[in-house]
Amino acid sequence: MRRRALFLTALLVGVSMLAVPGAWAADVRGVTDTSVKIGCLVDLSGPGKYGGPPIADAFRDYVAWVNSEGGVHGRKIDLVVEDNGILPNTTLQAAKKVILKDGVFAIGFNLGSAGASAILPLCEEHKVALMPHGANKKFYDPGNTWVFVPHTVQYSMACRAVEYIVKQDPKAKIGIIYQDDGFGREGLEGAEAAAEFLKTKIVKAAPYKVGTIDFSPHMSTMKEADVDWILLWTYLPQSAAILKQKAKMAWDVKLLSNNTTGVPPLFALAKEHADGYMLVTPYAPGYMDLPGINKAKEINKKFGDYDKQLGNPMYPDYLYLAAWGYATAVVEGLRKAGKDLTPESYVKGLESIKDHDMGGMCPNITFGPDRHVSSFSSMILKADAKKARFEIIDPIEDPKTPQR
Amino acid sequence: MGGKFKTSYKGDMALFQTLWVKVWLGILAAAIVVCPQFLSTYQISILNEMAIAIIGALGLNLLIGYTGQISLGHGAFLAIGAYTTALAAGELNLPFIVTLPLSGFMAALLGMVVGVPALRLKGLYLALGTLAFGFIVDYILFHWDLTQGDMGMAVNPVQIGSWSVQTEKEFFYFIACFAALATLCAKNIARSKIGRNFIAIRDRDIAAEAMGISLAKYKIMAFGLSSFYAGIAGALVAHYQKWIVPGSFDLSLSIAYIAMIILGGLGTVLGSILGAILITGIPHGIIYATDVAKESYPALSGLIVDFKLGIFGLIVVLALLFEPQGLAGIYRRAKVYWKTWPFKY
Repeated sequence: MRRRALFLTALLVGVSMLAVPGAWAADVRGVTDTSVKIGCLVDLSGPGKYGGPPIADAFRDYVAWVNSEGGVHGRKIDLVVEDNGILPNTTLQAAKKVILKDGVFAIGFNLGSAGASAILPLCEEHKVALMPHGANKKFYDPGNTWVFVPHTVQYSMACRAVEYIVKQDPKAKIGIIYQDDGFGREGLEGAEAAAEFLKTKIVKAAPYKVGTIDFSPHMSTMKEADVDWILLWTYLPQSAAILKQKAKMAWDVKLLSNNTTGVPPLFALAKEHADGYMLVTPYAPGYMDLPGINKAKEINKKFGDYDKQLGNPMYPDYLYLAAWGYATAVVEGLRKAGKDLTPESYVKGLESIKDHDMGGMCPNITFGPDRHVSSFSSMILKADAKKARFEIIDPIEDPKTPQR
Repeated sequence: MGGKFKTSYKGDMALFQTLWVKVWLGILAAAIVVCPQFLSTYQISILNEMAIAIIGALGLNLLIGYTGQISLGHGAFLAIGAYTTALAAGELNLPFIVTLPLSGFMAALLGMVVGVPALRLKGLYLALGTLAFGFIVDYILFHWDLTQGDMGMAVNPVQIGSWSVQTEKEFFYFIACFAALATLCAKNIARSKIGRNFIAIRDRDIAAEAMGISLAKYKIMAFGLSSFYAGIAGALVAHYQKWIVPGSFDLSLSIAYIAMIILGGLGTVLGSILGAILITGIPHGIIYATDVAKESYPALSGLIVDFKLGIFGLIVVLALLFEPQGLAGIYRRAKVYWKTWPFKY
């Protein structure tokens, strides 16, 4: 009898507690009259660790600069940088932490497409605007209210790459070596779409598993197909391995890769073999005298560690500049949303950004109610091994292949 | 030695052996009902992860801890459960009450198929066989159009009649019910003839066979049961996260589950629960530690991020070195100490 009474009492206490409201939430999560909390999820410990620090550097510098000017509508930006480990599981944990524990208003950057997919429902549920990097076409086509991509995606870059090749040589035989995952397959999809649009075709496609560094079979396949150009939807170590394999085969085939490989360590890895290596990217090289890049350098000198960052020739400046574009979109959205900041007004604010000037650093930013990707444009760069840097050989341009 | 002297077989087999066990379970149940009212949404989300992990760990402990069959493919069975429910709900519009058991049975069926080679394989060879199965599942999920590759696919929310499970708190009560049911079933399996046969196979399979235990039947059954648990856990993960990607179910997940049952205690139900709580909790503990360090020692918080995986590994290694019987071993010792106090034994 006493036991039953004990159980019943415990149950009654529990049930009565259900009726008590939890905590009094703020009107809008992450927003006060004087501050707005923004999350930035980067890889600081996982396979993408190389990319995390320069992205975080750019966000910290940009936010410090905006705050030094008084913030946005009187609100200082409170930046929360969190390690997402780039993998889906770890990204989900990081997103939960910044949304549910830290209470961020928006996630201004997330590194890794699969991880961004994994956190999408969480962002939707809590009305968190999300800006994924390494973004896939799927994020804006068909699109989602809360997702904005301030970046040219791999699909558009692959289209642009094929169009460039055909412009150079209308009869070129094109092959592609791609990583067998979402990133590589999106490159293949874009290349095939552009080839079809231009009434040509990709004569050979050779996938590889993540982590492969022996490309002799892939290059032999390309040689057998007698291709003139090889598109590379690969990451840095794979591109370097392919460059060495090309030199070993003494084969004068032209290589055109994607933006992820346009970093200084390529020259250290491939040395003189890097000469003539081309890539498609939305970001101008960091050494160039362009208003956008000069402004970033000036702010980095003031708020960051310039000698170790943009002033360091081995620093992966393209990642810094990519994050700069994201930070710009985040802040511009806050400005356009006005003083009355809510998730809905922020989405409207972002959607009203039109042709925001990036000073030549990358394509200008434009969003709209039915367009949540900032740009489809990119440029072609070519490696100069002696100077250990890339030079623009074809300026920023939209692909002609339909993008949606 | 502490303990209760039993005078009947029925008493020895009782699920709740003493009044105190019942009282403590009652308190635990009340605490589970009440605790979400005192916790933040983030903390409840951690409990939800733990509850799902408990279900998966219970299943793996039946296979490894009770039957002695090593498996490195547990993550793959979770994936099978997750994708079965996602596809059945999304493509076939089947309700949750159908997709959940379907996920369990699909995983169990494939588990039994994987169990067949286990009749001829042991130890590391069996581990390699199950590892290969994991890679096959991984490859299919990445390349099958229906599963939409590494970008993953959306999963319908849990809908039972007109009730839809949406908030973390609702999920907490929902998943806690399944975790409790899974624990009860595991406890019953372990104390029944099936459980004793599993243990006999684990301890010496030739002797078990000589006693008339069918190795084929019970080994395949162990794989089937373990995979069923994993399938259910996978289905719950899918509906809880509302989006699944193949990368979430890779080898690292299988290893995490093995760590749960080893650190918790092999061959014990309680060990599965404690191990699941510990392994799921460590990364969140590190997050809390990083946040605390960030305030006072910003440089230290950076170091914690840098050595996050190392810290996790160190905790696992230290636990194995100093407590090879797992958390369940600590619990057993504490219980004996409490019961025999002030005497040492």
